[in-house]
Amino acid sequence: MIRAALSTLGILCALVGCSSTAFAQSEPPASRLELGVGVRWIGTEQLGAKPATETTGSGGTSQLFSTTSELAGAAGIEGRVGVRLSRSLMVEAEGAYVKPELRIAVSADAEGAAPVTATETIQQFTIGGDLVWYLPVHRWSPRLAPFAIGGAGYMRQLHDPGTLVDTGGFYHVGGGVSTLLTSGGRWHTKGAGLRADVQAFIRSNGVAFDDGAKTSLAAGASFFVRF
Amino acid sequence: MRRAITIAVAVSLTFGHSAPALAYLKFGVPIRGQQVTVKWAQTPVRYFVSDSGVPGVSAVDFQNAVGRAFATWQAVPTASITYQLAGVTSAQPGSDDGSSVLGFRSRPDLDRVLASTSFLVDSSTGALIESDIFFNSAFPWSTAAAGETGRYDLESIALHEIGHFSGLGHSALGETELVSTGGRRVLSAEAVMFPIAFAAGSIAARTLKADDIAGISDLYPDGDFTTDGSLSGRVTRDGQPLFGAHVVAFDPATGTMVGSFTLNAQGQFSIGGLSPGPHVVRVEPLDDADVDSFFDTSQTVDLDFRVAFFNRAVAVPKGGDSGEIALQVVRK
Repeated sequence: MIRAALSTLGILCALVGCSSTAFAQSEPPASRLELGVGVRWIGTEQLGAKPATETTGSGGTSQLFSTTSELAGAAGIEGRVGVRLSRSLMVEAEGAYVKPELRIAVSADAEGAAPVTATETIQQFTIGGDLVWYLPVHRWSPRLAPFAIGGAGYMRQLHDPGTLVDTGGFYHVGGGVSTLLTSGGRWHTKGAGLRADVQAFIRSNGVAFDDGAKTSLAAGASFFVRF
Repeated sequence: MRRAITIAVAVSLTFGHSAPALAYLKFGVPIRGQQVTVKWAQTPVRYFVSDSGVPGVSAVDFQNAVGRAFATWQAVPTASITYQLAGVTSAQPGSDDGSSVLGFRSRPDLDRVLASTSFLVDSSTGALIESDIFFNSAFPWSTAAAGETGRYDLESIALHEIGHFSGLGHSALGETELVSTGGRRVLSAEAVMFPIAFAAGSIAARTLKADDIAGISDLYPDGDFTTDGSLSGRVTRDGQPLFGAHVVAFDPATGTMVGSFTLNAQGQFSIGGLSPGPHVVRVEPLDDADVDSFFDTSQTVDLDFRVAFFNRAVAVPKGGDSGEIALQVVRK
């Protein structure tokens, strides 16, 4: 098992080493810096169910009402700065802001209260770092570049009305495509284009009613400029 | 000169506070026009136990069961109150001698009262001087570890009465049904301080619940209690404030509930001892026990409204308050 892990590590190191070597030995990339802004959507996260119970005389429980919670999907904005390490590798710093709604559906009240969904708006800020790998499957179209992306970061969730903060971490992995709309341009730009991705977004801690990691689908679309 | 007044739990206590108490009903006495919370000024609180037993419960059994109940309250990590057994006495509970005594008394006339707590309060400070608990020997009692069919569990009832002994009033976190012979039967409860006991044989009330812990921690705060938060607001019907509405905060993370009441003319309430995080808020009329178990008869408690939930999840901050929320209810 240890040997297998070491050999996997070795392969990873070799891959990174190759990329690095390629960057060093090939022509310098036409552009080194990429700035992007766009929209980010994070899908619904199920937060589980929890009943409100009371103790019976036998030591059992009797349900007073039940709750089922979710952090609803929401769209927000994101920005990122990427630096090309080679023709196929780019590292990015990214930040995003979304306002999902915490929804707690309350039902089955023992005394007949009408079901209700108690809601609260959460302001969610994330910052993190990504590794973007442009796939060597050359190319579906001259301007379309598929990529794989993975990263991790820090998350801060601010409850309404701003008096309670939850923090946590996240990581995500997925893929997407980017396309150059223009090459060259004004103000030292070397091109501009669009990028779209779909990712699995996994977070730990933050708004949660148990200790488990929460997974949801995430998608983004952005406009970028290369320098 | 210190003047003392005697107060009996069920009849003369006033619960009306000029401002909402944080969690729970606490006993209060009017001093110079203001309600002052009744509590022990110094700990450990010393108590004596009676040297007489009853059929099924020896004096030693009694002392041990009462000791376990005191230890349960004392073990609450967010409360500072401590107790100390001062000795065994032949004195009866209920005599205003400056010593707190727990013991049996035969009161067959009180055919619905398992036990009762009385107080001697310093009327200039609100500090407790003495608190006595009597257990009604007209009922069958048991201290068996697993309980005993047909007999009331002394440790469970002692736990409830020691809550009063410490200054707590009743909690309304429980459900009951009327029985044909009169009175109510408890279906479920989520507070040791619910005013009606489980049926004979039950030992389910030997464990404190979140509501009890919030109450004792609010009276005698210690340690992590300052990092807990609170939730406050108003309850209205047709724009008018409601007095005596029971408001409960439910924490979906822990599944625990803590309750309080609207306690002033503005219909305001405040629930303390809550873990930081989003809470569900439920309001209900005080209809699962006699109103005079909670409030004195001079106060009019409005019961004509439907059980309802607040339509927002309320974020309770760490060490702070949620900010006032507005709960609107409708007539039945």
